[in-house]
Amino acid sequence: MLRIRDASVTFPASDGQDVHALDHVSLDIPPDSIVVAVGASGCGKSTLLNAIAGFLPLTEGTITLDGREIVAPGGDRGVVFQKDTLLPWANVLDNVALGLKYRGVSRGERYERSRHLLELVGLADFAEKPPYELSGGMRQRVGIARALATDPKILLMDEPFGALDSLTRETMQQLLASVWARTGKQILFITHSIEEALTLGTTIVVMSPRPGRIVARFDADFVRDFAEAGDIGTIQSHPRFIELRQEIRSLIHQPEGARKGTLQ
Amino acid sequence: MTLAANSRTSFPTAAAQRRPSRRLRRAASASTFGISLATLAALIALWFLAAQFGWASPLFLPSPADVLTQVSAVAADGYANGTLLDHTLASLGRIAAALGVGIFVGIPLGLLMGLNRWVKGIFSVPIDLYWGLPPLAYLPLLIIWLGIGETSKIVLLSLSTFAPICFAAQAGVRSVPAERINAALSLGASRLQLFASIILPSALPEILTGLKIAIGAGLSTLVAAELIAAQSGLGYMIMSAANFLATDVVFVGLIVIAVLAFAFTSGMRWLEHRLIPWKGKL
Repeated sequence: MLRIRDASVTFPASDGQDVHALDHVSLDIPPDSIVVAVGASGCGKSTLLNAIAGFLPLTEGTITLDGREIVAPGGDRGVVFQKDTLLPWANVLDNVALGLKYRGVSRGERYERSRHLLELVGLADFAEKPPYELSGGMRQRVGIARALATDPKILLMDEPFGALDSLTRETMQQLLASVWARTGKQILFITHSIEEALTLGTTIVVMSPRPGRIVARFDADFVRDFAEAGDIGTIQSHPRFIELRQEIRSLIHQPEGARKGTLQ
Repeated sequence: MTLAANSRTSFPTAAAQRRPSRRLRRAASASTFGISLATLAALIALWFLAAQFGWASPLFLPSPADVLTQVSAVAADGYANGTLLDHTLASLGRIAAALGVGIFVGIPLGLLMGLNRWVKGIFSVPIDLYWGLPPLAYLPLLIIWLGIGETSKIVLLSLSTFAPICFAAQAGVRSVPAERINAALSLGASRLQLFASIILPSALPEILTGLKIAIGAGLSTLVAAELIAAQSGLGYMIMSAANFLATDVVFVGLIVIAVLAFAFTSGMRWLEHRLIPWKGKL
């Protein structure tokens, strides 16, 4: 269980006005859930993820994972980045096995586990290829396999499909839903797409910028259907989906003053 | 009409249009080889003609045949206290020693300067200061301090190869993408693992570029140093020959240096191809 309590991150700005990238955010990510943070750019959703990953210190508040406070990056939190961060000098298999190598897992064992994960993401035939011979979607799949290889307690995904074309994106969402259904990992997923948030989230938190806050949260269950049936069209035309999408859209597009008045 | 027909025929074919990248790549590398070879052949032919028809006095421009004769003469009998091989080995030995110092001191120090604020703060000022000086300006000082023997020459050359390698290693460390470091840390990398598996390979392309610059700087400094104070080496051989107006021997020296420079460049290209085939691809 990941527990975020009153987390604030403040950046000093050049004009002297501090930027409150994250303002007293509290959030729980229980096991077996996908929490999706959605919002316009600058709403602090990436700051939240970076703080959980340990890349960024909190100005106030605490984040704990299974009771232990997070102070630095660590292997118990797997991160999938927006831009793939694969090592160009290593082939796909060695990239997936990197975290296991850091842990001192023997060569045979780490390759066996990595091959298994490559199978899970549908890239078993590409193990020996260098990453730069793969398409953007394939590289992101390698990134997911790499993050899963060390069996982290939580998977942090920072707009991982944001740079992909819409068809590849749907395939990747389907893949993630089925990986989640099979592994039961707790996932924090950042996106600016409301459809993506509703398709993948068991919990959707809507964030607003300046200061970065959670303004609303919704529970959804579309991802379970999605993982089973895999038909994104049926899900996205469900009346409840359309209703929620409209509600979230109006929350995000509301003028700042009005939102503060109604929700704070 | 003819113009229109011509421009239509010069359009790339459908197959070529489909693979613009391959076409560009071929245009950039393979197809220049023939052109370069032809240029070289034309230059040599021009040299032949100039000597044949006496466009310039043999004192200024010896004929290719004379130079070729001198190559074998200098190789067999020697010139200025040594055979061609002796002089070449003397020069190569100096440059190898200097590159060794540049690599074994410059790379670790540069990496440390890229990683640590203190190391960078301490070493960047003296390196920046001396790197701005022309090596031949402080050679007299090195001769006063270290004598006219090998030491002063190797120190001079080492100074000229060290700085570019050191700067390159430093720049290489700073060019590592922050996300790559974050990714490794979130995979559980220790500091040592981070350095060995991420920072060092990421800095390798920059280091190899620095090495190329260092070889160029080393070669030019080497010949200059040998022109001034030496009893062996290609620069010394050229200088001695020039004193006796033995232009053909000067040409021999120049050709050997050109071949060496070409060999170094090709070697570096091969090394880049072997070590960093991924350069610029991700």
